[in-house]
Amino acid sequence: MPNDAPPPIHSAKDALDALAGILGGALPGSVASADDPAAALLSDPDVASAVTGRLRGSGSGAGNDTLCRWLYDAFRSNVAELQLAVLRFVPTLAGVYLCRAVSRKPLAGFEAVLLALYAHAAAQRGAGEAETVSLPNLANPSPYHDAKVPPKGKPVDLDVAVLSQPLEPHGTVRATRRARIVGAVLQLYHGKLAHMPLSSKMDFCEFCVAWAGTNSKLDGADKQRLPPAPDGGAEKWRRVPLPWELFQPVLQIVAHCLLGPTGSDELKAQAARAAECLYWRATETVDARAVLATRSLVRLSQMVEEPIPEPSFSGAIENMAELEAMRANILNNTK
Amino acid sequence: MAAAEWDSRSEASPTGDWPPAAAASPVKGKAAALQESDAGASASGSSEAKVDDGNIQEAESSLREGLSLNYEEARALLGRLEYQRGNVEAALRVFDGIDLQAAIQRFQPSLSEKPLSKRSNKLRSDSSNSGSQHAASLVLEAIYLKSMSLQKLGKAMEAAKQCKSVLDAVESIFQCGIPGVMVEPKLQETVSKSVELLPELWKQAGAYQEALASYRRALLSQWNLDDECCTRIQKRFAVFLLYGGVEVTPPSLASQTEGSFVPRNNVEEAILLLMILLKKWFLGKTHWDPSVMEHLTFALSLCGQTSILAKHLEEVLPGIYPRTERWYSLALCYFAASHNEAALNLLRKSLNKNESPNDIMALLLAAKICGSNYLLSSEGVEYAKRAVKDSESSDGHLKSVALHVLGSCLSKKSKVASSDHQRSLLQTEALKSLNEAISLDRQNPELIFDMGIEYAEQRNMHAALKCAKEFIDATGGSVSKGWRLLSLVLSAQQRYSEAEVVTDAALDETAKWEQGPLLRIRAKLKVAQSLPMEAVEAYRTLLALVQAQRKAYGSAKNGTEDDEDKVSEFEVWQGLANLYSSLSYWRDAEICLQKAKALKTYSATTLHAEGNIHEVHEKIQDALAAYFNALSMEVEHVPSKVSIGALLSKQGPKFLPVARCFLSDALRLQPTNRMAWFYLGEVHKQDGRLADAADCFQAASMLEDSDPVESFRSP
Repeated sequence: MPNDAPPPIHSAKDALDALAGILGGALPGSVASADDPAAALLSDPDVASAVTGRLRGSGSGAGNDTLCRWLYDAFRSNVAELQLAVLRFVPTLAGVYLCRAVSRKPLAGFEAVLLALYAHAAAQRGAGEAETVSLPNLANPSPYHDAKVPPKGKPVDLDVAVLSQPLEPHGTVRATRRARIVGAVLQLYHGKLAHMPLSSKMDFCEFCVAWAGTNSKLDGADKQRLPPAPDGGAEKWRRVPLPWELFQPVLQIVAHCLLGPTGSDELKAQAARAAECLYWRATETVDARAVLATRSLVRLSQMVEEPIPEPSFSGAIENMAELEAMRANILNNTK
Repeated sequence: MAAAEWDSRSEASPTGDWPPAAAASPVKGKAAALQESDAGASASGSSEAKVDDGNIQEAESSLREGLSLNYEEARALLGRLEYQRGNVEAALRVFDGIDLQAAIQRFQPSLSEKPLSKRSNKLRSDSSNSGSQHAASLVLEAIYLKSMSLQKLGKAMEAAKQCKSVLDAVESIFQCGIPGVMVEPKLQETVSKSVELLPELWKQAGAYQEALASYRRALLSQWNLDDECCTRIQKRFAVFLLYGGVEVTPPSLASQTEGSFVPRNNVEEAILLLMILLKKWFLGKTHWDPSVMEHLTFALSLCGQTSILAKHLEEVLPGIYPRTERWYSLALCYFAASHNEAALNLLRKSLNKNESPNDIMALLLAAKICGSNYLLSSEGVEYAKRAVKDSESSDGHLKSVALHVLGSCLSKKSKVASSDHQRSLLQTEALKSLNEAISLDRQNPELIFDMGIEYAEQRNMHAALKCAKEFIDATGGSVSKGWRLLSLVLSAQQRYSEAEVVTDAALDETAKWEQGPLLRIRAKLKVAQSLPMEAVEAYRTLLALVQAQRKAYGSAKNGTEDDEDKVSEFEVWQGLANLYSSLSYWRDAEICLQKAKALKTYSATTLHAEGNIHEVHEKIQDALAAYFNALSMEVEHVPSKVSIGALLSKQGPKFLPVARCFLSDALRLQPTNRMAWFYLGEVHKQDGRLADAADCFQAASMLEDSDPVESFRSP
């Protein structure tokens, strides 16, 4: 981070002003004077394309990258809505970072932002706490069902699964810890998915396809039907190592894009493509756990969602004429 | 609402749908008469509807039961007609005039009195109950349809509010939940549909917390929902919990009996619901829904709980999945849970010639499982070869994967080959397969790594070095085993200082906690360079780390941590003991051995080291006893075999055949054991077979130039 520090960010307005200063002409004036700066930062398409464009640009993410500095400051401001606005760029940030990190370019700017996000995730989780899931056993009653065990009987012991290992503090990104750090950041993003705009999720799915590096294995027919991956022409995003600690949060996010309540067919199509690429990636090493999870996603993407039942009208209405008259009456009375 | 608007709308809509509106009402007078009995019922008294009774079924039944249609009810009927015809906007305009609050107020007393008056005046109460129920049903249905109309017009938020008001109304009418038998079917239907609709509307409106609350309200309150409806809601809720991207607060603990399971987070709640859904199906309460199993598969594999998933898959009744598919899925579950044998047995059944012998995914999985076990490697080779053949006939995507597992199986098989000739054949074949796999898929670093290991083990250090570097480049140095391989290959080339540089670079890229294996290599590199003081120092650092780890994790090892990445304290003491005895610091060596023994009482390595010390002190019998004890701990302990052979070869000619036997045995197990070759050469020399001896010495000297400081494959 450069020494000539920009003024600190305390509010969304500060952040937007600072961003306007950094992006210069790339940001339309209308945005810079937006009424709701936090909302503009989170979901304005012009802001999004200006920022992601910069993040994807060559040479981004170095130690002196002012945009990274801005992301860092905005996140560290502890203003919740600003933190959301920073998280919105996690797909691009992580996407570009992981692809470039493989080529071992200096990326201190990206790493500073990711470490800030990671520290936040670690603090949220609590020191040394793993994220666990107790697996229900139907022999015990639950709010949603009754069990036939006598109430005096001891509850059946539950299996506890570790969803994510404890997050130990990290001051630098060591290569062998990269996946875990980015994985934890993606989990943070996953927790806020409901607030994230569509374009952010689209970016994520796009990078997933690149990370998996198995695009060529999709069926030819499929490739034509799906929109071609946006290709800036500038840089080819590449395959990256996807150990489980990274693969797992990636899958969770793709699953949300595919099956979550976003209601966007475009996103669903992109997510289905990402899921399929991840499936092929999992089969490459015959990683059973990943094969099971991705295979289910691919299958679910091909299933049709059950629609909400329509109202049923039992008993036909026979005397239309009289109803017509009734209608006229009522309408006259409502003047 | 403006009538003009209404008119313009109805003109715009194709009139062809409408029946001719010419017929005038024949019973105007009757409607006017009815109006009196309806006095005060409507909130907007002046605009009281002049209702035709007509033949409308509902209106008729209302009238029969002593209630007339009031303004709301008439509107309700009309709106419903419009909705039914698909005139959503028109329906909405009609519905807009209904005052739900007023209607509820009207319905409430008669219905909530019901429990009180039930005994005293059963007949009257029942009839008035069903009468007002019918009226309530009409109005509530109208609001429900209004909500549907709004939803169709894309106004999800308003729709949700309307729909919620239906449920609020029902709750205030039936304060103790809906009784199962007393409710009119139409009313029940409206209630069920609204309960089901509400969370979907909140979701569409983006109000996820409300959606969550309404799902729980749907499932935890008494709505008297039928099984199918409840099933649909449970499934949608599970999906919402799993994929909604919403951080959810757990359901409240209130009204929970002791010992009941209360989910703490999204995933737990979703898994619970999915399990309940499956159980419902087993009990025949709902139809089979394949997506439920897929959601559960996804959730449980994310948690790594595939053995629980296997239980659920096993419970699926026959006829749902083709049996080979079920076997394959189960095999995936068992393999992911490290129950390799169970997984392989299922795959053997599945790959039987009477089932689906050419299922490439099953073949690949079977080969992969076999590739992890020497004894199964031959079987694995067979599966992998079939997979390669199959992949050629299908789309070819999986050919590189098939060749990769084939290479791994062949390499494994070469380790247990019965002859040198067979071994070298298998090794060549393994390399060929891996090479071919790489030519098909240049992207996969795992392939490059396995190739590197194969080269290294075949002592082609030059090629191995290239692979190790390539692997580190392809992974950006993010995978420890790449660093490890590079450093070991360099050590095998006796390029110790470079190996140290690599180890240091790797240490830089590794978090403190995981540095153990690298520190061990560093210590061994120091030993190899005859830098004893630095080696001791390196071991000391390693020991500090290992002891700190032991303290941090406590003695209770849960086994879920990746233990293979950890150096054990025992290993460190053992390493130090070896170091000290190589320096002839016997006392120190013995202390270290005692420490090692305290951690692991029966260890071939420790016994072997003790034997070494005895041997140096010329206590031949004790040394031999220690070596044999080591062998009885571990039948295939190569260093002990070599030591026994070496020791016996020095005991005079009559022991030479036995020595030769032990040494050959050691070489069968570990053909690259330099010392074994050397002593075998000695034996041959003493026996006068000079040519053989020369061969052995040559082998030993060649191997000396290619010995890594520790085994290439992780211990």
